[in-house]
Amino acid sequence: MKKLLFIILSLALFTSCERKINEYAADKGSANFTTYISVGNSLVAGYADGALYHDGQLYSCPNLISGQLQLAGGGAFVQPMVNSNIGVAVYPGVRPKFVLGYKADCQGIVGLSPVLAQGDMDPFAPVGYAVNNLGIPGAKSFHLIVPGYATMNPYYTRFASSMTGAVVGEFANLHPTFFTMQLGDNDVLAYALAGGSYDSITPIPIFYYAMKTVLGTLLATGASGVMANIPDVTSIPFFTTIPYNGLVIPRQSLADSVNMAMEHFYHLPFHYIAGPNPFLIRDMSASPPFYVRQMQPGELVLMTVPQDSLKCKGMGIIDVNTHLPYPIPGEYVLTTAEVTQIKGATSIFNAIIDTMAANRHIGLVNMNSRLKELNSQSGIVWDGVHMNTTFVTGGAFSLDGIHLTPRGNALSANFFIDAINQRFGSKIPYVDITKYKGVVFP
Amino acid sequence: MRRITFLLLLFCFAAMTSIGGGYQVGLHSTKNTGMGLIGTSLTYDASSIFYNPGGVSFIKDKWSLSGGINLIMARVTFQGKDVNYQAHLVHELNTPFYLYASYKATNNLSLGIAVNTPYGNSLSWGDNWQGRFLIQNLSFQAITVQPTVSYKFKNIVGLGFGLVWAYGNVKLNKALPIDYTGGEGQLNIQGSTIGFGFNAGLMIHPVKGLNIGIDYRSKINMDVQNANATFTVPAAVRSQFPDSKVEVALPLPANLDFGVSYEINEKFLIGINLCYVFWKQYDSLVFNFKTKTPSLGRTAMPALYQNRLIPRIGLQYKVNQIVTVRIGGYYDPSPVQTDYLNPQTPSSNEIGLTAGLSVYPFKGFSIDAAFLYLMGTKRDGTYSPENFAGTYSSVFYIPAIGLSYSF
Repeated sequence: MKKLLFIILSLALFTSCERKINEYAADKGSANFTTYISVGNSLVAGYADGALYHDGQLYSCPNLISGQLQLAGGGAFVQPMVNSNIGVAVYPGVRPKFVLGYKADCQGIVGLSPVLAQGDMDPFAPVGYAVNNLGIPGAKSFHLIVPGYATMNPYYTRFASSMTGAVVGEFANLHPTFFTMQLGDNDVLAYALAGGSYDSITPIPIFYYAMKTVLGTLLATGASGVMANIPDVTSIPFFTTIPYNGLVIPRQSLADSVNMAMEHFYHLPFHYIAGPNPFLIRDMSASPPFYVRQMQPGELVLMTVPQDSLKCKGMGIIDVNTHLPYPIPGEYVLTTAEVTQIKGATSIFNAIIDTMAANRHIGLVNMNSRLKELNSQSGIVWDGVHMNTTFVTGGAFSLDGIHLTPRGNALSANFFIDAINQRFGSKIPYVDITKYKGVVFP
Repeated sequence: MRRITFLLLLFCFAAMTSIGGGYQVGLHSTKNTGMGLIGTSLTYDASSIFYNPGGVSFIKDKWSLSGGINLIMARVTFQGKDVNYQAHLVHELNTPFYLYASYKATNNLSLGIAVNTPYGNSLSWGDNWQGRFLIQNLSFQAITVQPTVSYKFKNIVGLGFGLVWAYGNVKLNKALPIDYTGGEGQLNIQGSTIGFGFNAGLMIHPVKGLNIGIDYRSKINMDVQNANATFTVPAAVRSQFPDSKVEVALPLPANLDFGVSYEINEKFLIGINLCYVFWKQYDSLVFNFKTKTPSLGRTAMPALYQNRLIPRIGLQYKVNQIVTVRIGGYYDPSPVQTDYLNPQTPSSNEIGLTAGLSVYPFKGFSIDAAFLYLMGTKRDGTYSPENFAGTYSSVFYIPAIGLSYSF
């Protein structure tokens, strides 16, 4: 018995070592990642939850990409860091980030909702150092070539090397060897976020000229890189969370009274039933005197619509005080015509981006098809993490319904890494998505 | 006294792990383990109750008692696909065991009882590893009790039949990608159940030295009706994930074994086995939560196992009256398809090499030892329903000890 025990114990010692598998061997391929810069808008800057704040920047898509490039010769990646974890006061009245919290609505019902975070924001001040992340919240394509843009966009002012120059003027001084770019989203998104009421879609020739100039200036530095095209912005939670027929009438008797009022008092041909009904919206092409109509399937309500007015004041149907039809104002709605305009412009812009990328040997990140996949029934699954475009529970979009969570940024970074590896024959490992959080519950 | 300590050992450490294919254990007699896990055509001792009830009536002694324990040491390393990430299976000692007793009631009629652990799977990858949303740790054990009757006709044909009563328990932990201040979600499932099956065998002894055995062990449905599912989730989503009873169904697959052995002379014995495992019976692991919410219902994790044939060979050499040595080997093809390779059972095609030794200090009593080495293999695969891909590299070291006493 003792002998056996001895044999077993020696075996136990012998087996204490681990099985070996070769570690992932990162390789830069034909690229040179020594000095990496990222160019573009808020998606590049690390803007999230409706603000630019410290942790959002740490989890910015380019910062995550940079972490992986550093395994294949990439250098340091400097961002214009905000110290506060709730925001930076770039202009008076700017809001801090959203967090998920409990809030009582107008009916006194307490529910989970994005609420403004408490605390101190960073005061607005230039950071005073050169940065690799040139992402500027709010920037459209042509903003990057406008001289003096630092006087117009305080997010750029924070790190601009000159108040009179253009963003494209920064490139050469940074001596980049590699770049990623995500630009052009705001050329359609800004119009969409305004409900098509103000702002405008960038005219095609201007978009074309701006992209050409930005890419030309980037490539003139000798850098190579990848760029993303523009996703269908109408599929993000900001536009899809409140359904067009979100007007729920609890009882048939109530629907009957609404029908009677519509027919006899206002002579409006709308019929209501118990259950979900389309909201009433303002439409100047509808008949006077009310200029209202019901929403159609495919039309979108913006997340910024005053929800208490919807719930308690009769917005979207009949004003509880004046008893007159109370349409949702146009700035909170994308009509079929506006959606068509946005989608049309997106596909033209993407044709331009795709062609320019191909002609200039820039790798292309097909963000448009990636967001379609995320927006599909099955969403995207990665290491057991199921993600989709649903607000909060989908895990990818942050509480502003527009920008990404750390997990969404990790996914986006992996799309970029795919494009980099494909274009340059490199072997950059993926970001481990399981390390990054989605929306954080209280 | 010896037996008492032995039993204590069992109850302290009883835990199983799958080796090689799926979640079948295969270690049911230290003597047989030493010679390639063959056994269908052997009648050394009461372990025939499990390997082939038809052989029990051929056991020469009035009483035969046998018991033993295996120490499974698994070493598995995981390298994520296209990521800079490796994980190691947590080192655990798993200890499947067996206890048999047979009694020769008449010259031709024998009775027996077996208590052993034919199925099980126990592993832990740690709480924070990359695959934690699929599995953190899992412990599934089935202990079977098999009362058996065996009858032989004219020392040529033996028939045996056993009823199998199985007790199974399952414990499972996985993380949920629901983030809250201070952590992420967690699911724990625990439960136990019983199931029934049978074991029928035929042994043919046509000429001196030659044995032919066929054995069929039926499928056992382990349907845990009322396991407890406990969720650790933020209060905000508690109503979506209430603690609930959950039904978990896992089939223990049927086996059809065929074996031939031949005593070349007084000293040498050679045997082969062909074991067909009806793994296709494991289609998916179903969790049916009894408290339904929009986030909680019936979820099936597809497994889509394939039926597999395992060839085995073993040799025995009697050195003298006191010492017998054995060697053997087998090939265990994985029932898991490459698209369904899951960290819950990171199975690959395995080649097993075995060696064994019995010492007979006095007549009828043997101390048995064996060592099974499952050669290191590397396998790439993806569990596609969860898009979890990587390479698993594994090796198993399994020493076994046992005691047999026949009188």
